[in-house]
Amino acid sequence: MDYAAQTAHLLIREFPQLIAGFLVTIGVASAAIPLALILGLLLVVPRMAKSSAIAGAAIAYIELMRNTPLLAQIYLIYFGLPLLGLYPSEFTCGVAGIALQHAAFMAETYRGGIESISPQQWEAARAIGMRKLKVLRLVILPQAIVRILGPLGNQMIILIKDTSLVSAIGVMELTMTAKMAIERSAASAEIFVAIGAFYLILTTFVGAVVRLAEHYAAESN
Amino acid sequence: MFNVLIASLPYLLKGAQVTLWLSLVVVSLGTLLGIGLGILAAIGNIFLRTLITTYIFALRGVPVLIVMFLGYYACPALGFRVNAYIAVGAAQIIYIGAFVAEIMRSAIASVPPGQVAAARSLGMRRFTVLRQVVLPQAARIAVPPILNNSLTAIKQTSYASIVGVWELTYAAREIVERTLAAFQIFLGVMAIYFLICYPLSLAARWSERHLLVNH
Amino acid sequence: MPMIEVRNLRKSFGVLDVLKGVSFEVEKGEVVVVLGPSGSGKSTMLRCINHLEDYESGEILVDGAVIGYSTDDQCRRVARPEAVNAKLREQVGMVFQSFNLFPHRTVIENVMMGPVHVQGVGRGEARELARVLLSKVGLASKAEEYPSKLSGGQQQRVAIARALAMNPKVMLFDEVTSALDPELVAEVLRVIRQLALDGMTMIIVTHEIHFARDVGDRIIFMDGGVIVEQGTPSQILANPSAERLKLFLRRYQGDYLAA
Repeated sequence: MDYAAQTAHLLIREFPQLIAGFLVTIGVASAAIPLALILGLLLVVPRMAKSSAIAGAAIAYIELMRNTPLLAQIYLIYFGLPLLGLYPSEFTCGVAGIALQHAAFMAETYRGGIESISPQQWEAARAIGMRKLKVLRLVILPQAIVRILGPLGNQMIILIKDTSLVSAIGVMELTMTAKMAIERSAASAEIFVAIGAFYLILTTFVGAVVRLAEHYAAESN
Repeated sequence: MFNVLIASLPYLLKGAQVTLWLSLVVVSLGTLLGIGLGILAAIGNIFLRTLITTYIFALRGVPVLIVMFLGYYACPALGFRVNAYIAVGAAQIIYIGAFVAEIMRSAIASVPPGQVAAARSLGMRRFTVLRQVVLPQAARIAVPPILNNSLTAIKQTSYASIVGVWELTYAAREIVERTLAAFQIFLGVMAIYFLICYPLSLAARWSERHLLVNH
Repeated sequence: MPMIEVRNLRKSFGVLDVLKGVSFEVEKGEVVVVLGPSGSGKSTMLRCINHLEDYESGEILVDGAVIGYSTDDQCRRVARPEAVNAKLREQVGMVFQSFNLFPHRTVIENVMMGPVHVQGVGRGEARELARVLLSKVGLASKAEEYPSKLSGGQQQRVAIARALAMNPKVMLFDEVTSALDPELVAEVLRVIRQLALDGMTMIIVTHEIHFARDVGDRIIFMDGGVIVEQGTPSQILANPSAERLKLFLRRYQGDYLAA
């Protein structure tokens, strides 16, 4: 019982800092997710372009993001920008790194959704005289959106977990806060179990929201 | 232009060697662990199933970095006086195991139940059904996601540097903190990772195209 | 001794009672056709006979041996060990509505699966046996193909050959033509008819009333989890007594009552 009491005591003492870190984690994710979603959209357009040069450039970017670790990219931004005379905050560097990498995966998810709509849908809409852009907006996208909600949701959960990496450049999010708490106390493993619980709650919550959205979207279609 | 990179190349290549070894060990052991647990989760009794699905749920919901830190700090606390590589490597193996277990469990579950019914109606015992009918079909479904997962795992070995394990990314950061040649070094390191990962990425894509189409 | 005895079979899926006390016997060499609307429990009953389905009460005997559960002398239900059930299943061949061929094996390997992996027959011998059976169902030329390359009717015939490879005493057919395009049904029924002529004991669950008359020695009509009526084809189909059976016949073959 002594161990349990000790651990409880420790966690209660560190709780305010951990909550602060948790909020920063949510902050990083909240900034990176919309950014990644939008950049992904901007990326999928050239990716699906007819010109092989333009598509090739997009493919090269996506392959680069897919085959190199996010950490290296974050370090590149954080250590590299000052050389160009730019001094963005650690927060900005972290968000940028995460968004740039995940934009590639979002783009692939969008592409999968669009390509999964049978070409007959295109033909049918064009046959009744709709212009290409209108077909996209009214026929293809609504269907594609329902299909990609699941994969997009999964990507977002991966993104949330990736926010832990920005602790490497000093952003005071949950993982960094935990490291500092450990330096203050002896019970290290327990702290990490605690923040594991924080992350688990966050990812489970987001997962549930995504499933709800999928269900709702499927119903309304 | 790239003089720092060229000068540092031997050091970085040593780091790359460590990364390769680390990747090989954690991916193979983690995948084996995951396959075993996934099969158990699919066919085991309810107690085993609940245990394994809880393990899967817990690990898949947290960042790999946390599990690595946990391994790093928990090992000495539990009495294992091991070096950082083993502590963090074991943590990553357990992490990969959870993801592969879920892939395997889901692949087995997606084999049509009629297959099992047909096999049993021939008088096959459970183990034979698994070996001759279910697993061959589950394997085809599971290979592409497992390859993709291995790709992710290789990239995740770089996170061990945050915990203090020396590998390619750690070496790179060392050099950059000393020489400030961020672009050269990190671009060079990204190129090395790319060379390591791209073949696997191609293999994963190839397997998606060829294995997920009906025979 | 009858080849198959079913005594007071009861089964429910949760609160839904699917089989409410079904009893019948099948003699050696007899062909029994089970007719009934969907939801009558006939497929479930078939799957209970080789214990692919659990059931709540009742007894099933295959060639005198108890399969599934037995009642000990204190009237308590005792589950038969899986080894015993598996062994008994070797004697009961089953063909399914959705064929269930193994997609990762060729046609001839499918037929060989039972002998090789259950009976321990050598591969060479099993291959010869499989070839003979495939000829019997008219598919010797497709031996090295994969199931996905075959039509539904062809796949079903392979499924029959696969079941026959175990040299069963009884064959169970579970709506084997319901998933087939109409023009493919005849080739499967031809094989089944030949089996009947060769003296195989069979229980056939089907919708094909005309076939029931062709091949069946006895017809059992099930509805709502019970046997409503049974008799020879001429008795049942020409002079159905139960209202439910009349309704069924009218729905599935309107002009039959007039014939």
